[in-house]
Amino acid sequence: MNNLLFFLTLISIGFVLGTIAEKLHYRSIHEREKKFLHLPAVTVKTVHYPDEKVKSAELVCGSAVISIDYFKRFLASLRNIFGGTVKSYESLIDRARREALLRMKEMAGDATVIVNVRIETSTIGKKANKKGVGCLEAIAYGTAMILEK
Amino acid sequence: MIITNIESVPGKTIVEHFGLVSGSTIRAKHVGRDLMAGLKNLVGGELKGYTQLLHESRQQAIDRMIEQARQLGANAIINVRFSTSSVAQGAAELYAYGTAVRIK
Amino acid sequence: MKYTPRQPESNVNVTPTSPLREFFLLTAGLLGVVIVIYILLGLAVNLVVPRISTDLENRIAGLFIRSIEAKDTASEREDYVQSLLEELQERCAQLPYLFKGHIRQASAVNAVALPGGHIVVYTGLLDKVASENELAFVLGHEMGHYAHRDHLRGMGRAFVFITISALLFGTDSNISKMLAQGLTITELSFSRKQETRADEFALETLNCDYGHVAGATDFFEKIPKEQDPGKFGHYFASHPESYKRISHLEDIIRSRGFKLAERTPLPENWRQSKN
Repeated sequence: MNNLLFFLTLISIGFVLGTIAEKLHYRSIHEREKKFLHLPAVTVKTVHYPDEKVKSAELVCGSAVISIDYFKRFLASLRNIFGGTVKSYESLIDRARREALLRMKEMAGDATVIVNVRIETSTIGKKANKKGVGCLEAIAYGTAMILEK
Repeated sequence: MIITNIESVPGKTIVEHFGLVSGSTIRAKHVGRDLMAGLKNLVGGELKGYTQLLHESRQQAIDRMIEQARQLGANAIINVRFSTSSVAQGAAELYAYGTAVRIK
Repeated sequence: MKYTPRQPESNVNVTPTSPLREFFLLTAGLLGVVIVIYILLGLAVNLVVPRISTDLENRIAGLFIRSIEAKDTASEREDYVQSLLEELQERCAQLPYLFKGHIRQASAVNAVALPGGHIVVYTGLLDKVASENELAFVLGHEMGHYAHRDHLRGMGRAFVFITISALLFGTDSNISKMLAQGLTITELSFSRKQETRADEFALETLNCDYGHVAGATDFFEKIPKEQDPGKFGHYFASHPESYKRISHLEDIIRSRGFKLAERTPLPENWRQSKN
């Protein structure tokens, strides 16, 4: 009985605090995305600018590691029984990737465009690949083109 | 919505681009599929259940990416890449991203 | 390439769903499945258990009888308990078992019915009983469990359930642990009905052997002070509260017209005996 109560307490804490953390993070992400709207990230490799105009081209990268709260983990394990979209993890991955992209754009400084952007995801942490995800890491990297004014 | 893996849409010109668009999905298998997979481990052969699961995931990821591109006003997505990772035990996460463009 | 900065209206990658709703839906679904399997198992066990012959049971018990007998130490109290068992069996119970009493050193005021007719009585209980009738009631209660094959029923269901959950979720997943705990709770309450029926069996046996039922409720009247789990704990305790058992037995005594008479005393030096 004690175990059950303890478990329910963990889940409630996970849910409440996790939801708050997620809302705050999303708000920050939205603000920064608006700020960086002028700097596009594209997956194309070809560069359309003539050589004289290019001041520098540098590799920029950004990464973020997001961890899951207990509530979402429990929900995912329930989902494993019935199948279907694991909705609780979707926001987690989304946040991680957008955060990684934003950090990459922050590193780019006053570039005009970031080309050949690639995004990789992996799971890290003690429990990775064994009983669910410990933390999720997203890396975004590309080449930032800084042009002559 | 035209989707290509190369830098352009052959035969068309790109008028403008809207940056990166992506679609991701994460799906879990259910115990039925798990049991069948366990049995198949004895016999060998294609795990049709899992193939179907991943195929549906891929379809959903692409659909989401197309939806996001449409919201931006694009009508093609070029240089699309896929990425898979195992995010949770028993769940497959599929991610598709590309550049949304408007072609003429 | 010209760049037009635009932002998407909605986030396509996250399904707008309330996680609480999903939580309740999935948990309800899981509980539903578990309850259905439980009911089906219960029916299956009820079908199978009466068909397990006592012969088969004795053979299964034979597997671990040696480890039980190895711990037996010869003592006057063990002989006394054995002879009392045999008397109850021959004269009244007449169950298809060869009952054997085993005494164990422990402060628990309890007796346990193991498959094959092996009854383990703890010295804590032996020290507490004050008359032969009281001891006969306790032994008769254990024999009642055998009569209804109770010891097989509870084991069967819990075992299959835990095996299924271990196969599906692994042995150290949270769900398996919670299932095991939930099972302990429900299996305990299941056995409360069994305990009441065993009480009734013991009452009948007592009446048959001695001609009266004095001493039937003595044992329960001793429990209230020490082991009564109180209002909250009663759901989790395996035995129904003592006062319920006492009043239930008194109802039967009244309705069946059982008589009360002098209790038969225990042999001398009962409490001084080492085993």
